Amino acid sequence: MSNVAGKAYAMNVITPVPWWKAIWQRAAFAFVVAFPSNLKGLINLSLIHYARWTIIGRNSFPHLAPSQPKEDLNYSYMMFESNFNGSWDQYIDSFSFAIPTGLDLFWKYNIGYPKSIPLHDFYDYIRFNQVETDYFYNAYPCASSNDVKSATALFDNLKEFTEDCLGLEDDEFLVAYNKLLLENQSSLGSMDIGPAFTPSMIHQKELS
Amino acid sequence: MANTSGRAYGLTTLCPIINGVSSNKHAFSQSAGESHDKEIRRVLQSLPLNENSLFANTDNTYLARLFILNDVFFQQGNDYKRDQLKSKYLCFNSNFHGDLEPYLTSLWSNNESQVREIWQHCVAFEHVSNADDFVGYIKSCQVKTTLFFNGSNDEPVAKQLKALYVKQMFSEFVLTQQGKSGAEVKQAFKYFLQRVQLNDINSPSWKPGQTQIQLT
Repeated sequence: MSNVAGKAYAMNVITPVPWWKAIWQRAAFAFVVAFPSNLKGLINLSLIHYARWTIIGRNSFPHLAPSQPKEDLNYSYMMFESNFNGSWDQYIDSFSFAIPTGLDLFWKYNIGYPKSIPLHDFYDYIRFNQVETDYFYNAYPCASSNDVKSATALFDNLKEFTEDCLGLEDDEFLVAYNKLLLENQSSLGSMDIGPAFTPSMIHQKELS
Repeated sequence: MANTSGRAYGLTTLCPIINGVSSNKHAFSQSAGESHDKEIRRVLQSLPLNENSLFANTDNTYLARLFILNDVFFQQGNDYKRDQLKSKYLCFNSNFHGDLEPYLTSLWSNNESQVREIWQHCVAFEHVSNADDFVGYIKSCQVKTTLFFNGSNDEPVAKQLKALYVKQMFSEFVLTQQGKSGAEVKQAFKYFLQRVQLNDINSPSWKPGQTQIQLT
């Protein structure tokens, strides 16, 4: 089991929704997709690589062969999956404090959802309904989501700077170089391996 | 429905696992075999990690996971009807750049033996014998993502890794150039460009899944 790969944590949470309320739930998500400004809180949190909510209708579980028994379910289910930086506690705390209304919008039709505040009821709800990850892969274990975004922006700016400024006289070049640093200072900084306790790091140590 | 966010794709699948006992025999077990879900879990726990992962060997995987859904949970006491799944499901969920078909083709073509080892315990996988079959199989297990949130970006992985390499190298470069003259900085910057090769997206760069950073 490994919920962790480098600096990323993989969370899976599956919760029941009455099938007729799942229709409203889909409408709520469609509203969010149509008006992405509702995701501003999530974007500001800035610790998520990718996350998804998937509503699985009670008759939508894949059925591939007559030998497989058909599911006979009372409820639809909502599967939430996230790839985020930091620990479980940090993530749940951040969610609960930063976007409580957004969380309530996303889970409000789920059976037993306690609301995101008070925090400990929300803790219990997520923990109870979480499924552990058996295998997790991260293309950049040494980088956070912010590292990926800032690196890409810096890379593009550095290419532009090279094309525009390499032909300048020395003093002009230095002015342009300092301007480049000033404008990209938030994108600079070294990265390193994740915390030593993570399974990926333990495995790495065993290999070395 | 939103499987995509720009060029990033959020694949969600539930692959039903065969009920009952596998015919595979293990040296450590006295019984005829183990349940298929247990066999899959054993395989997943033995797969190489990080830069040796099958996903590091699959083009454009940002992050991917495999887990087994044994059953659905219920904590609401006796006030509600309870559900119990009749099958267990292998959940293969991936975040990657590009289209689904070439991604799954790459997964199969570059890792066929591992893919077979994992999915052989799933219902109807015995009909899969090539990349096209595998693409069709995974599609039959796919559940459409309702809301896919991209908190990163949707660039190809090769560009992301190159950018991370350059960020690391340039940050170190900046530290060494403080207080130097324009001529010195410009000369050093030309040498820096020769080392990092901005226009070569593949080399030098970070490798997919690499867990250690070397300043070379």
